[in-house]
Amino acid sequence: MLQTSNYSLVLSLQFLLLSYDLFVNSFSELLRMAPVIQLVLFIIQDITILFNVIIIFLMFFNTFVFQAGLVNLLFHKFKGTIVLSAAYLALSISFHIWVMNHRWKNSNQFVWTNGLQTLFVFQRLVAVLYYYFYKRTAVHLGDPRFYQDSLWLRKEFAQVRS
Amino acid sequence: MEGVRPRPPRILPPVPSGNQDEIPLSRPKKKKAKKSSLDGVGQVAVHQPSESYEPLTSEVQDVPPQKKRRKKKVPPESETSFTEQNGNDMDPSPAEETVTRKQWKRVKKTRPAEGSSELVVEDEDIIEDEQLKGTEQHPVFSAPTGISQPISKVFVEKNRRFQAADRKDLIKTTENVEMFMDIKASWTTKDVALSVHRGFRVIGLFTHGFLAGYAVWNIIVIYILAGNQFSTLSNLLQQYKTLAYPAQCLLYFLLTISTVSAFDRIDLAKATVAVRSFLTLDPAAIASFMYFAALVLSLSQQMTSDRINLYTPPLENGSLWISDEEKEILQPWIVINLVIALLVGISWFFLSYRPQLDHSEELMFNGEVEEYPLPDKEAKLSS
Repeated sequence: MLQTSNYSLVLSLQFLLLSYDLFVNSFSELLRMAPVIQLVLFIIQDITILFNVIIIFLMFFNTFVFQAGLVNLLFHKFKGTIVLSAAYLALSISFHIWVMNHRWKNSNQFVWTNGLQTLFVFQRLVAVLYYYFYKRTAVHLGDPRFYQDSLWLRKEFAQVRS
Repeated sequence: MEGVRPRPPRILPPVPSGNQDEIPLSRPKKKKAKKSSLDGVGQVAVHQPSESYEPLTSEVQDVPPQKKRRKKKVPPESETSFTEQNGNDMDPSPAEETVTRKQWKRVKKTRPAEGSSELVVEDEDIIEDEQLKGTEQHPVFSAPTGISQPISKVFVEKNRRFQAADRKDLIKTTENVEMFMDIKASWTTKDVALSVHRGFRVIGLFTHGFLAGYAVWNIIVIYILAGNQFSTLSNLLQQYKTLAYPAQCLLYFLLTISTVSAFDRIDLAKATVAVRSFLTLDPAAIASFMYFAALVLSLSQQMTSDRINLYTPPLENGSLWISDEEKEILQPWIVINLVIALLVGISWFFLSYRPQLDHSEELMFNGEVEEYPLPDKEAKLSS
């Protein structure tokens, strides 16, 4: 059974990482005095996304549903979060590489092209969806029903075995 | 007298009354009494009480061992004083022979246990005896003789040390701790999740209002700087270039929080619920759509915002701006900002109209288990 203190701690960490991510997405364009500042910010942001994905998977592994062997059920339930996290990580890394590649020599240069603009819009839009789905999943995993035996779980288990 | 002394501790019956203290002493002397040809009354009187009190001794086993010790240690002077005291009360005749007189006195003392004629004398004897005990034993024994009484101080082990604590305070603190533990035990992960969800809803509510106000202020500033019929666009660029990028960043920040909060209201993750909300023109669904549209529009203007941010007069070297193109670039940007302000303002109105509306909370924490048997339904449908 998930302890309340542990869950609170994990939830705080997840929200902290999400907050950092949102902060970088919002204000990184303002912090481009030197290209290295943006580089460090982007690297930490990508690591943050990766950490968040690892944490959410660890939370999945901690559920009774997962330990009962019903991995598909859990992934089906939270597939939106998993897909969006992966997509967001890929889009973020792509955008960061592209932007830094253009801005490395002169950070105050006008670098926007139609392709970069499109990637930027997609990355930022997926970021919003990622925040929503991730937050929802993190809060949802606090439901004690994921950590205990129940009738529907037994039915699912029986169906899987038969 | 010398032959008798070692024996009393062995035979001592632990009867609490003062009279029984004397019985062991009288027992060994019974043989002597026989020898010394005492009258039959005395013998019977000595013998009978010892037999009748025998069962009582088993009940009152905790009669102090001090009495035994006292018997051991009582000096002959105390006995004489005892007899003298008794003698003052009940036997006025002077005592000269120790053994015979003692026995006689004990006979007299034990007699009231049988007959009720000398009850007064017995009471007095008891008082005398207790007084005697008190005066004699206090200096010798430090162990408490009375019934144990609960003291106000108790000693509690804290940090591997015993510390004195007041009993009343301790009771209060233990009650408080129990209450605290009860509260803490009842605070589950679900409650944490719910409180976080509600907290974010409150933050979102503030953000909706702030964003609406900020967007309206932004568009008013732009229109004022642009002048009548966009006649002073160069002035707008000059004045607004420092504000353009921070405003864009802040707009994205607020729009993100507002959009996530609006999605929470309709529970977008459940497609069926979300679609039903859109079809029934749920205010939260409309607001979500408007926020998302505003977000897309805002993001699409990132390039223009950066161009405004890097504005230098068109005549300068390396300028991004050409003097004739200013209106072509800025007019759609201003219109889009106006649309964003309208969308955000209307969304805020819809959401603040019913601030407690939250489908996520209803569905996420209340109807979750019922949602799972989807394969059942699928199986039924397929069959």
